[in-house]
Amino acid sequence: MITSEVTFDELASLMKQAAGITVDPQELKQSAESPFDVFGLDSLGLLGIVGELENRYGTSLPPDSERCRTPREFLNLVNSTLTAGA
Amino acid sequence: MSNRRPGRAAVTGIGVVAPNGLRTDAYWKSVREGLSVLDLISREGCDHLPLRVAGEVRAFDPAALIEDRFLVQTDRFSHFAMAAAALALDDAGLGGEPADPFSVGVVTAAGSGGGEFGQRELQKLWGKGSKFVGPYQSIAWFYAASTGQISIRGGLKGPCGVVASDEAGGLDSLAHASRAVGRGTDVMVVGATEAPLAPYSMVCQLGYPELSTLDDPARAYRPFTEKACGFVPAEGGALLVVEDEDRARERGAPVRAFVAGHAATFTGASRWAESREGLARAIRGALDEAGCAPEEIDVVFADALGVPEADRAEALAIADALGAHGTRVPVTAPKTGIGRAHCAAPVLDTVAAVLAMEHGQVPPTPNVFDICHDLDLVMSRARPAELRTALVLSRGLMGSNAALVVRRGDDSAR
Repeated sequence: MITSEVTFDELASLMKQAAGITVDPQELKQSAESPFDVFGLDSLGLLGIVGELENRYGTSLPPDSERCRTPREFLNLVNSTLTAGA
Repeated sequence: MSNRRPGRAAVTGIGVVAPNGLRTDAYWKSVREGLSVLDLISREGCDHLPLRVAGEVRAFDPAALIEDRFLVQTDRFSHFAMAAAALALDDAGLGGEPADPFSVGVVTAAGSGGGEFGQRELQKLWGKGSKFVGPYQSIAWFYAASTGQISIRGGLKGPCGVVASDEAGGLDSLAHASRAVGRGTDVMVVGATEAPLAPYSMVCQLGYPELSTLDDPARAYRPFTEKACGFVPAEGGALLVVEDEDRARERGAPVRAFVAGHAATFTGASRWAESREGLARAIRGALDEAGCAPEEIDVVFADALGVPEADRAEALAIADALGAHGTRVPVTAPKTGIGRAHCAAPVLDTVAAVLAMEHGQVPPTPNVFDICHDLDLVMSRARPAELRTALVLSRGLMGSNAALVVRRGDDSAR
């Protein structure tokens, strides 16, 4: 059961946990259209975040998830998948 | 790359992360004093294994030295490598972003790989399921990881490589870097680090008949003695900066040593009697390349495996290759105080050789007090000597043999 959407706060903390990248959630939200590599996140790092979200919410995310280029694109895809599955 | 004719391969920087010192000066002090830091293995999850004694790098805090984004995707052996590379580049006066990223390359040797990281992920695989395995498992355990991460972290885009040629690969990497410099690359960051003391990595080593399983740190690793009972492993290692001599002089960098000659041979896994001929041939090849007569060798840093048959083969190989000089030249094996860090062992020995030449002292062989071979092994305390040329020897458990000739650098570097 999904109680809330994945937020920029949660994404920021996942970036720290899975990829060792420190980013301020506010900054992440304000720069949500910037490519992930601006924040220092590479494709393996995003793959790790996808895996963590899948385990956390007990559902599969689309294969395209780890190819999202920006935080906005990624959160839109993740949240639409989680909402649809709920 | 430059258009001028390349000069000699000069060592201009050294970075050490070793069981007996987390910096080059601390390492040398311990080596010179003959300090032994061999101890019972304290790493978690290793209590039940029959391997008891090793050289652990304690008090190393990777988080204080390396950014989180590199730490999460790397094993301990790469943490050592990144830390040592930064120390070496700083020592060479090349810290920070390189002016020309394509002029600086990286080559490392690795034998043990990222066992601790790999074990953690494999435990997730079999304990929780494949979805719990992190993506960095794809790169962290791999032999090439340290070269890649040093390159990425430092923005070094010159020729990069990894030598996977057994323990002697540590010397082969130095030769590889020197040749890259000879082909026109300005600077190479080169060396090896290992972290073979995690449970999985230790289990991988238990099958080696050469491994010492004694539980007494003072007696577990005593090569060239009648009580020799094998070797103990170690972690850590060293990275060096090897640079075109002319370029070093142009920028005013002191030359600490020259990599003068190298050769490698192969005589088969654990065929120690046959390593005599292989090692002797490697020594002759290295002397030839260096244009060095046997009598010019002022000190030998021995492989010192600690297996009677292998020790005998090494003593005979030194005599075969150096003739009568082989029984007169001072021989030492400082690694008896820290253990054998696989590919990193001969790199640490090369560093010790450079420092020995700089300080005019042959360091002793800790824990070894009476030998049963015809060698002038330096024991108990450092021996003052005018050292111009050093010979470093290495053999691997899988059958590789290598020799490296290192010449003293500028007096001003001392």
